Amino acid sequence: MSTLRIPLRRRGHLASAMLVTAAYILPVYVALVSAFKTQDQILANPAAPPAPFTFDNIIKALSRPDNLVQGGLGNSVFVTAATVVLLVPLASAVSFYISQRTPKVKAALLAFFALGLMVPPQVVLLPIVELLTAIGLDHTYPGLILSNIGGGYLSFAVFVYVGFLRTVPPEIIEAARVDGAGDVRLWWQVIMPVVRPATATVSIFLGLWVWNDFLNPLLILGPLQGQTITTGVYLSVGGYSTDYGQLFGIMFLSAVIPVVGYLVSQREFIHGLMSGASK
Amino acid sequence: MYRLRRALTSVIAASALFAVAACSTSANTENGTGSGTSLTFLTFETPALTAKFWDDSITDALKSVPDTKINKIVSPNTDRNAYAKQLQASGQFPDILSSINPKDFIEANLLTPFDKAWLEENFLLPGANNIKGSTYIPPTNSQILPMVFYNKDVFAKNNITVPKTWAEFMTVVGKLKAAGVTPIELAGAEPWSASMPLVGLMSAHVLGKRPTWVADRYAGAAKFTDADVVAAVTKQRDLIQAGAFGKGALGVNYADANKQFLDGKSGMYLMGSWFIGQIKPEQAASFGSFLLPTEDGSLVVPFNVGGTTAVSAKAPDVAKATAFAKAWSLSPNNLRTLIETDGAFPMMKKLKLEDFGAKVTPVFTEAYTYVTSENTKVSSVGWVNNDDAMPPGVADLFYALSQQLFTNGDVKAQLAALDAAWDKAAGK
Amino acid sequence: MPSARTASRRRPLGLAPFLWVALLLYVAFLVYPVLNSLWTSFTDKNPLRAESSFVGFDNYTEMLTDERLRASLLFTVVVVVVVTLIANAIGLGFALLLNRQSVGYRVMRTLIFIPQVLSGVIVAIIWRSILTENGLLNAVLQRIGVTSAPVSWLGSTEMATLSLCAVVSWITIAFATVVYSASLRSVPPSLYEAAKMDGAGAVSRFRNVTFPMIAPGTTITVVLCLITTFKLYDVIAVLTGGGPANTTQSTAYYLIQLAFTNNLFGYSSAVAMLLLALTAGIAYLVTNVLRKREARL
Repeated sequence: MSTLRIPLRRRGHLASAMLVTAAYILPVYVALVSAFKTQDQILANPAAPPAPFTFDNIIKALSRPDNLVQGGLGNSVFVTAATVVLLVPLASAVSFYISQRTPKVKAALLAFFALGLMVPPQVVLLPIVELLTAIGLDHTYPGLILSNIGGGYLSFAVFVYVGFLRTVPPEIIEAARVDGAGDVRLWWQVIMPVVRPATATVSIFLGLWVWNDFLNPLLILGPLQGQTITTGVYLSVGGYSTDYGQLFGIMFLSAVIPVVGYLVSQREFIHGLMSGASK
Repeated sequence: MYRLRRALTSVIAASALFAVAACSTSANTENGTGSGTSLTFLTFETPALTAKFWDDSITDALKSVPDTKINKIVSPNTDRNAYAKQLQASGQFPDILSSINPKDFIEANLLTPFDKAWLEENFLLPGANNIKGSTYIPPTNSQILPMVFYNKDVFAKNNITVPKTWAEFMTVVGKLKAAGVTPIELAGAEPWSASMPLVGLMSAHVLGKRPTWVADRYAGAAKFTDADVVAAVTKQRDLIQAGAFGKGALGVNYADANKQFLDGKSGMYLMGSWFIGQIKPEQAASFGSFLLPTEDGSLVVPFNVGGTTAVSAKAPDVAKATAFAKAWSLSPNNLRTLIETDGAFPMMKKLKLEDFGAKVTPVFTEAYTYVTSENTKVSSVGWVNNDDAMPPGVADLFYALSQQLFTNGDVKAQLAALDAAWDKAAGK
Repeated sequence: MPSARTASRRRPLGLAPFLWVALLLYVAFLVYPVLNSLWTSFTDKNPLRAESSFVGFDNYTEMLTDERLRASLLFTVVVVVVVTLIANAIGLGFALLLNRQSVGYRVMRTLIFIPQVLSGVIVAIIWRSILTENGLLNAVLQRIGVTSAPVSWLGSTEMATLSLCAVVSWITIAFATVVYSASLRSVPPSLYEAAKMDGAGAVSRFRNVTFPMIAPGTTITVVLCLITTFKLYDVIAVLTGGGPANTTQSTAYYLIQLAFTNNLFGYSSAVAMLLLALTAGIAYLVTNVLRKREARL
């Protein structure tokens, strides 16, 4: 009797878990299927599966004369990659440097970098635009990337790395020193491989944040240099876009990279979430 | 981990490629030829003024301005004035701007005035958009805003005739309400379109009696808290409390409001005369327009001379930008499209309405008689581009008041706040 | 002066250039802008005016009488409180429900995080399409007979605030669920076994074993809720545009409007300083309170 009852209960639990998850994820499902439905299908029943299936929205989104999707994706990839690729070595080297200093200096530097975690981006946006104008980098990609690197993202990266470096046994560093490794070589050849999990965390999080960033590209980059995909989606909504099919097509194309990236690197992601956020 | 590294490596490789090949994107299409001057042109898109209209009109105007490239910047929403300010605040003020409110920008000397001779030569009312004696927007066409559009079928079905006085108007509202029709459609989601009832009441009930009211306000001889203004604004509260507007009116955007009114879901709709362009010829028999009634039934036309192209004083080549703006303004093709799709009433000296060959509906013709005949025309409050424009930023507060009245019944306090904002902005 | 101890060993001085570069960028793009904002807040700077001047504390006194600022602060507080409560409660509920180790549960946990991966702009557009007059939500509610007429979810202050809270909660639940799931997995099974031995029921096991162990998860989620809702911008911009009648504006949103739409650089800088003081103060308080609680447990 009891052997029968347990699977039943388990099945009941699984069913309710699936039901709750499905209800919660429904909006994502609606967006996904809407990307492959015609306008009429969407209006008739937003939740129905895409039958008949259509690629029209995607094709239309990709064949816009203003090149919004391709260009936007390209710009987003560029800005995101450049930010991450520059920020990771910088933050890890700085963190290694900080972690090797006396407790007093270490505490002072960390407190200084902690400010960056507390400043809402809106507070510094206007002065940043003015500063970039003064140095001739206003409304340029380098300007946007520099302001990404110098802002709160740096603080976040430093905190993750410093937290992780606490768990690195000092013997490793000592051994390398005995071998006569210079500081830079020590950092690049010994420390970087050791802190790889932290690098994964930092890269994934920063990548996601920079990719989804809206305010900085909107105001630092402005309309003339092309959009990142996030501002591109915002602009394509326009005042009166009720062409849902087209809108969902563009959104699908803009979300597919981060979502696939998340699914692929999911394990490190969750891992990083715990180690990175618990600092 | 390996997967991740591979993914990262490929991302880096891809980004390196992109770094080499700079990508130009976005809604900013380049028009024009040659390696000449590159100018930016701020446009905005509405159901009538589509991307295609702008592209065609730019191409058309460029014919007479050689060696020039135009970069179109599209405002993310209809409020191009706010977007122009945003661009200015972030250091990217466009070289040519369509339909902005010049008063917001002239204090910082951002705009270039048009020369008098050219204005005299081409326009019926060359001084209509003068601010302190200078015109920053060519007076190419005019608008009545708001008009009261009404659904003739709905009126006939409920035995309603066009109201002549304010009391009759309120009766019509009551009858429609009783018949289960939304009496007045309102696009309340955006401040500019939500402002229409308030603009109508201020223009008809305050300026109708005292056409110099705005000038008096500047001079300090009139206030928002004066009894006549309070009475006019209170009428909007009366409308709200009488259930004249739909329940979710503040969530309805312009496109949806247009659709609901044209689908016969509401009896009346206060909107600028550009709405005429949204009424298709096959629907035209069902729709008419009248002007918001006054207490005694006297006719008051809330009038605005519009225009589009303002020129930045900071443009890389002001002469070229001005040439483009003039060409765009005088282009018969552009104006014909505006007449057909945007209900524009032409104000050109050398071209009569029939010269454009525009196909218009009876709704247009009927409304146009208000422009051409002798009557009391007053400045459309909060919308005009001349000396009667509100001080910088105040029009936005005035529009927002129209929304606030839905939730805040303290008319006097809100008008007092508007007075304070006015004085501050006007530098009193 | 380096002393005779093994200072050179402890300090990778070869990496100092990296520190200088980082400090330079950090000062340029974070510290200096904050100071610049502070300075600007004492002026009436406005790019649409020819000149600006020093006005002392005028901007700060003006904040006292600014109705929109007061409304934005109230709105921010409402959103922060509602979102923090909902996200933590539902996130914990989801985590407990999905706290099993088979493949199916892992897939579900993976899916639940997706709202965090999408940008705020996209989330807001999806929800806007669901919340419109003839959108999915109204259709469902009318079909099951909860409402007879379509509800205007974004048409009134109350409804729009409710909708915004719901959407931001929806995003944050994803984060909370994952954090709590990880916290639950860090509870050693032996503790449960011991509690079972002592004859503790499910409720008492939760109260005495699970709840204390997931305290760090609560800290993380609460701090993240605070940080994200205080700088909330994109969701508001797309979902309500701050409307109706400017009633759904967070202080951060109002600040951007002031700077980039009303061009009141001086006044917006003063509001920025207020926001900064608030976020810093609250971040400090919350971390201290929660850390203490963790320590006590």
